[in-house]
Amino acid sequence: MENTIYLRMYHKIQVNPDKVVYVKDLAQVIADEKNCHKILNLPVYKVSKKDQNFVVIDAMQVINKISQVINGANVQMIGPAESIVEIVFQKKKVSLPLFILIWMLLFLGAALTIIYFHEDVSMGAAQRRIYKMITGIEEEHPLLFQIPYSIGLGAGMILFFNHFFRKRINEEPSPMEVEMFNYQQDLDRYVIMHEKDEGKNNLS
Amino acid sequence: MTIKLLFVMFLGLAAGLAVGSGYVAFLAVLGIIPRLMQLSKTMGMIVAYEWAVILGAVAGSVGSLWNYSLSFPAFAAIPVGAACGIFVGMMAAALTEVLNVFPILAKRIGVDDKIIILMMAFVLGKIAGSLFHWLYFDGGPSF
Repeated sequence: MENTIYLRMYHKIQVNPDKVVYVKDLAQVIADEKNCHKILNLPVYKVSKKDQNFVVIDAMQVINKISQVINGANVQMIGPAESIVEIVFQKKKVSLPLFILIWMLLFLGAALTIIYFHEDVSMGAAQRRIYKMITGIEEEHPLLFQIPYSIGLGAGMILFFNHFFRKRINEEPSPMEVEMFNYQQDLDRYVIMHEKDEGKNNLS
Repeated sequence: MTIKLLFVMFLGLAAGLAVGSGYVAFLAVLGIIPRLMQLSKTMGMIVAYEWAVILGAVAGSVGSLWNYSLSFPAFAAIPVGAACGIFVGMMAAALTEVLNVFPILAKRIGVDDKIIILMMAFVLGKIAGSLFHWLYFDGGPSF
């Protein structure tokens, strides 16, 4: 069929405020040549101030626009049924003092919690015990055990997150990156369900 | 007497079972072993790693309950200390990850690109806190 149009919506796009969103911004399209150009440049939506941060554009809206221009279009959908349009306002910069404040907060918080943890599980007594098990010496402050332990603590965290400062230990994503991805996906799903126009309830 | 002994043995076994299975369940939730296998690409060695954990737990309880001690030179404590530290560090990292601290923090204050620097605050904080604990807070040696 020469009129078949294949449409694949992007999962998420980012636009500037007041931009007109065209089909080419929203989806990949395969169609025969003369139609393809026409479809790609169809305006679908005009972003306005009242949209705030997110607009969800459903494939139905796109198909509707296409069928207004092309008679008897046979649109085949592939992939997601809607795309999220994120309206990116001027990226707000985090000020340096605030960042340093947060950094210090995390630093001191981490330091305090590890002391809490050590006290809570009687780490000092356990370490004296381990030191005695290895060397047979009763030592009140087994620093030969405790200093490597402290450094190993940091090394273990870096190992788990797979980051050595800027450098990666290997190519795999770190659990934190996966976690951020999952969190973003959850947010996206929430936005899709809550911003969709037809999601309105019909209670009288 | 025999009944008493049998009951105590049974009680000990039951307590051991509860603690042991709880420990393994905790390790499984934190996912440290899969993470290490993923980093070292040794998925096939999982049975050996399981045995390492089991034997480690048994050795620890034997050593601590029977007051047993070896007489290695003092510097033998260095690799053991480092290994213990790495293990606890991985557990701490796994816990912060389970709690979803960083993704939310990064999103809220909009520092997605500087997240590694924030993470280093955590890591360095742990090291500093631990050293402070052993060198000063815990009485500390008299330098």
